[in-house]
Amino acid sequence: MPSSPDATTVPAPTAAAPARRRMLPLPSRPGRRGHEARPVGAVVALTLLGVVVLVALLGPALSPYSSITVSGPPDLAPFSAGHWLGTDHLGFDIATRVVEGARTSLYAACVVTLGSAVFGLALGTLAGMAGGWVDQVLMRLTDLFLAFPATIVAMAVAMGLGPSLSSSMIGIAVIWWPLYARLTRGEVRRVASSPHVEAARLSGTRGLTLVRRHVVPSVLPTVVVTASMDIGGVIAMLAGLAFIGLGSPEPAPELGLMASSGMQYILGSWWIAVIPGIAVGLLSLLFTYTGDALRSLLRGTGA
Amino acid sequence: MLRFAVRRLGSLVLVLLCLSILVFVLSRYGGGDPVRSYLGNNASASAVAAMREKLGLDDPMPVQFWDYVSRLLHGDLGMSLSTRRPVRAELADRLPATLELAIATLLFSVVIGVVLARVYALPGCFGGIVRFTLLGAASAPAFLVATAGVLIFFVQLGWLPVSGRTSYGPSEGLSGIYVLDGLLTGNLAYSWDALQHLLLPAFAASLGPGVALARVLADGLSTSIGSAYARTARSLGESERSVLRRHGLRNAASPALSMLGVQFGMMLSSLVVVEQIFSWNGLGQYLVMAIDRADTNAVATISLLLGAFYVVINALVDIALAAIDPRVRLS
Repeated sequence: MPSSPDATTVPAPTAAAPARRRMLPLPSRPGRRGHEARPVGAVVALTLLGVVVLVALLGPALSPYSSITVSGPPDLAPFSAGHWLGTDHLGFDIATRVVEGARTSLYAACVVTLGSAVFGLALGTLAGMAGGWVDQVLMRLTDLFLAFPATIVAMAVAMGLGPSLSSSMIGIAVIWWPLYARLTRGEVRRVASSPHVEAARLSGTRGLTLVRRHVVPSVLPTVVVTASMDIGGVIAMLAGLAFIGLGSPEPAPELGLMASSGMQYILGSWWIAVIPGIAVGLLSLLFTYTGDALRSLLRGTGA
Repeated sequence: MLRFAVRRLGSLVLVLLCLSILVFVLSRYGGGDPVRSYLGNNASASAVAAMREKLGLDDPMPVQFWDYVSRLLHGDLGMSLSTRRPVRAELADRLPATLELAIATLLFSVVIGVVLARVYALPGCFGGIVRFTLLGAASAPAFLVATAGVLIFFVQLGWLPVSGRTSYGPSEGLSGIYVLDGLLTGNLAYSWDALQHLLLPAFAASLGPGVALARVLADGLSTSIGSAYARTARSLGESERSVLRRHGLRNAASPALSMLGVQFGMMLSSLVVVEQIFSWNGLGQYLVMAIDRADTNAVATISLLLGAFYVVINALVDIALAAIDPRVRLS
C-alpha cells in the first residue's frame, strides 16, 4: 500500500487500490475519541477471537461430557469439581453446552453474514456499475427491505417456515443483505470514478474483468470490516429468536434456548440462565470490538 | 416541506402494503394447514372442503389477499387459535401494556443516550475504559440485562418487583396505561407501584438503544464542536456553552433522531423478550405464547402490527428530521 494517498498519480492498473474513505487532514479536536488507531487493541481482539474460534471448533473434543446427556447431579453451582460452569436442572454439564452453543452460534452467524454480504455485494456492485434504471430499481428494492422492521420480519419469516435454527437464519438473512447492497453500491460509485478504474477502462479492460480486478478489491475491505462487526449483531439476534422459541427445540445446546429455559430456575440456580447469556454477550462484544478495531485501523492507515 | 411529507407518506403506504403481502404469504403458505388446525386431524373430507370454501382458501391468491386486506381494514383480524378468542379482543387487552412499556423504554433510551453522550466523550484512559464498558453493555442481549436486573434488584436487594405490571388489580382508568390511570384517578400509590414494576423491564429494553444513541450523539457533538461554523461562532464571542447549545446540539440532533428511529425496531424485539421475562401481559408475551402453540394467525397479525408501528414511527422521524434540518428535504 502506498504510504500516502495521492489522487494525482495513477496506480498501475493491476494494483489493487487500498479502499479508504476520503481523508481530510482533521485538526485534533478537543474531547475527540482518542482510540482512532489502536493496533494493540486489534491484535488483542483478534487473538481472543482466534482462541474462541479454536475452542468452538475443537468443542466436543475438549469436554469429557456430551451436551445432551446427564453428566452429573442437577443444579451444581459453577466451579464445582468436574463441572467448571456447573450443571443445569437436568444435570447437563453447562460448560460443554455453552461451548457447543457457541459453536452453533458462530457457525450460524458466519453463514448468515457471509451469505448476506455476498448477495449484497453482488447486487450493490451490479447497481453501482450499471447505473441508470437498473440502479434505480435495485436501490428502491433495497430501500424497501431497509424500511422493514428487521427483527419483526425475521420473526415472521422464522415462524412462517416453522421454528428451527435454519428458519431463523433465513429470517435474518432476508433482512440483512440490504445493508451490504447499499454500502457496496455507494463504495462502487465512488471507486468507479477513481483514477485507477478510469485508467483500467481506458486501457481496454471491460465488464466482469474490470469489476473483478479493479472495483471489487477496492470495495471488499469495507464490506469485510462491516461484516465482521455484524457477526456480533447476528449472534445476538439469533439468540433472541431462540430465546422466544424460534430456534431449535429442547434440549438443543443453543445459547438463547438455554437462557430462556434457565429462567424458570432463576431464583434457585441463577447460573443456568446467566452463563449462556454472558456467552452471547461476550461473543457479540468480541466481534463488535474486533470489527471496530479493524475499522479504525483501516481508517487510520497512513494518517 | 409539505411535498416532502406527502412523498414520505406515499412511500409509507407502499411499505405497509409490501409488509402485509409478506405477512399474508407467510401466514397462508408457511406453517401448517389452517383448516386442519381448526378442525383437527380427524375431520371428514367434506367438512374440510366446506371449511376451505368458507375461509376462501380455494380462491386465487390475489382474491384471497384482497379479502385479507379488506378484512384487516375493517378491523376483523380473525380468530386466535391458542385462546379461541378473536385476535382483535386479545390485542385490545394487551396493547396498553405494551404501549406503556414502549413509551417508558423510549424515554429511558433518550435519557440514557443524553447522559452517556457526555460520558462517552471523556478524554484519556478513563474515557477509554468507559467506552469499552459501554460497548460491552450494548453487546449484552436484552435477556441478559433483564436477568441481571432480576438478580440484583429483586433477589439480592429486594428493591423492585419483577413480575407483572402491578401489585394491585388492573386499573379502573380509561387508558389501560397503569401509571397514567393512577394519576388520572388521583390514586398516587397505584401509580407509584406501577412505576416500580415498570423500571426494570424498561431499563432492560432501553440499555442497548440508549448506548447506540449515546455513541451517535457523542460523535455528532464532537464533529460539530470542531466545525467551521462553531469556530466562527466562537470568534464572534459566543461562549462555549452557547456554541454547544445553539450549534452543536442542533446539528447533532438529527443523526441521533434517525438513530432513535432505527433503534425503535431493536426496542420492539427487546420488548418481546423482556415481556416474557417479567410476565408483562402485553403483545410480546402473547406473541411468544402464539409461537409456542403455532397460532399462525396471531403471530402474523402481531408481526404486522409491530411492523406497522415501526414503519409509521420511522416515517414520522423522517418528517421531523426534515422539519429540523432543511438539507434533508433536498436529498
